[in-house]
Amino acid sequence: MNIDYKSIIRNAILLFVLIFVQKSLVWFISLSQLNLSPDLVIIALIYIGVREGKISGAVYGFVAGLLLDVLSGSFLGLLALSYTVSAFIAGFFQTENDRFLVRFNFIIAVFAISILSNFIYFGLFFQGTPILFAKVMLLYIFPSSTYTTIISLVYTILPKKKGYDRSYLSES
Amino acid sequence: MKKLGQLILNIKEYLILSVLIVFSLAFLFSNDNTQVRFLRAVAVGMFGTVQSGISSIPNVFELQQENKMLRENNIRLSNEVSGLKESKLENIRLTRSLSFKESTGLGLVSANVVNKSLIQTRNTITLNVGENDSVYINMPVITDAGLVGRIVSTSKNYSIAQILLNKDLRVTVKVQRSRVDGILSYDGVSSLTATNIPKNADVVVGDVIITSEYSNLFPSGLPIGTVTETGNLDNLFKKIEITPLVNFLSLENVFVLKYLVNKERYFLEKSYQSPKK
Repeated sequence: MNIDYKSIIRNAILLFVLIFVQKSLVWFISLSQLNLSPDLVIIALIYIGVREGKISGAVYGFVAGLLLDVLSGSFLGLLALSYTVSAFIAGFFQTENDRFLVRFNFIIAVFAISILSNFIYFGLFFQGTPILFAKVMLLYIFPSSTYTTIISLVYTILPKKKGYDRSYLSES
Repeated sequence: MKKLGQLILNIKEYLILSVLIVFSLAFLFSNDNTQVRFLRAVAVGMFGTVQSGISSIPNVFELQQENKMLRENNIRLSNEVSGLKESKLENIRLTRSLSFKESTGLGLVSANVVNKSLIQTRNTITLNVGENDSVYINMPVITDAGLVGRIVSTSKNYSIAQILLNKDLRVTVKVQRSRVDGILSYDGVSSLTATNIPKNADVVVGDVIITSEYSNLFPSGLPIGTVTETGNLDNLFKKIEITPLVNFLSLENVFVLKYLVNKERYFLEKSYQSPKK
């Protein structure tokens, strides 16, 4: 079994940095009037899931979610569950030609999986409360997913690795 | 056995997912455990140390919003303070007026100045009381400081009063200390002067000028002003400058004195001064 330690370290650093940013600095880009903040960690988890597959996605999702749960003081295991399932599903977008890591395909993947992640999280979070699920969808799930997707557009403008020609990977 | 191994290998992804989901659910159902609380306390403590350094970074957007909110609050509070100050001043004014009204034995009608002119030679004030309030022409207008003027025109609910700073108003006055008589008039520019005072009369700066009993328009003894300058008008008379006690610039509340001209005296004096041909 070939373990790619380099990849593990890189992913771990990426997730730690994003968890730190998510907990400490996300208010820089939060829309406080709408009570909206983007989920930066799910973007990274989707990237990992799409790039490395279902198992990697699920494991990283579980660890990152658990860490955020511990730090948030909310329901322990809720984000872990949401991230695990979401990053696992992201693994289904893994293709041999990295089609879903290319620009707008990635954005579509982020939106779809972000909806799923928020669906699990908020669906369980508001269980037992009198708030209607439709309201949860309209006020939390869709706005939060949309904002996360908008933030993930940054990925499309990031410089790509030299010599890594993706021109053949058109979205069409 | 080999088939079982192969099967497990085929579904290993789902097995791992199931295990992780079970772990997540286990955590979810054990949220109030002592171990979980301890774990949280340690993690939050460590993270809080790092976060405290970050918290000093100002959030520009929130600061802008906070600034806006503070500015709005500031304006609202300023308006409130301004209103309270106004109420306080009004309270002082009304209390003073009320005590004056109670102290004087004369019938008074309280009035607010609703309009005034101070820059003309014939200055007047408009009051919000009229004939419906038993206010009639020639009634004196006063404040607790002294004489203001007299009513010259009335309607049902309003009246106009000539003030001391009006060329048409002449008042017979007296120096309170030395009882020297004179006639007070406005020069139309800036000052009140008392004339018809003999050159050798005892008048000094600071003397208080009051209405004289010779006046048929005003009751005697109403304070008018203080002498600020004395000089000679010609070889026979003095010219005395007087500063009114009433501050006409800030005049807001006055009283109309229910005092009317003594008609018998008025007609007698008039008939003597201009006998029928």
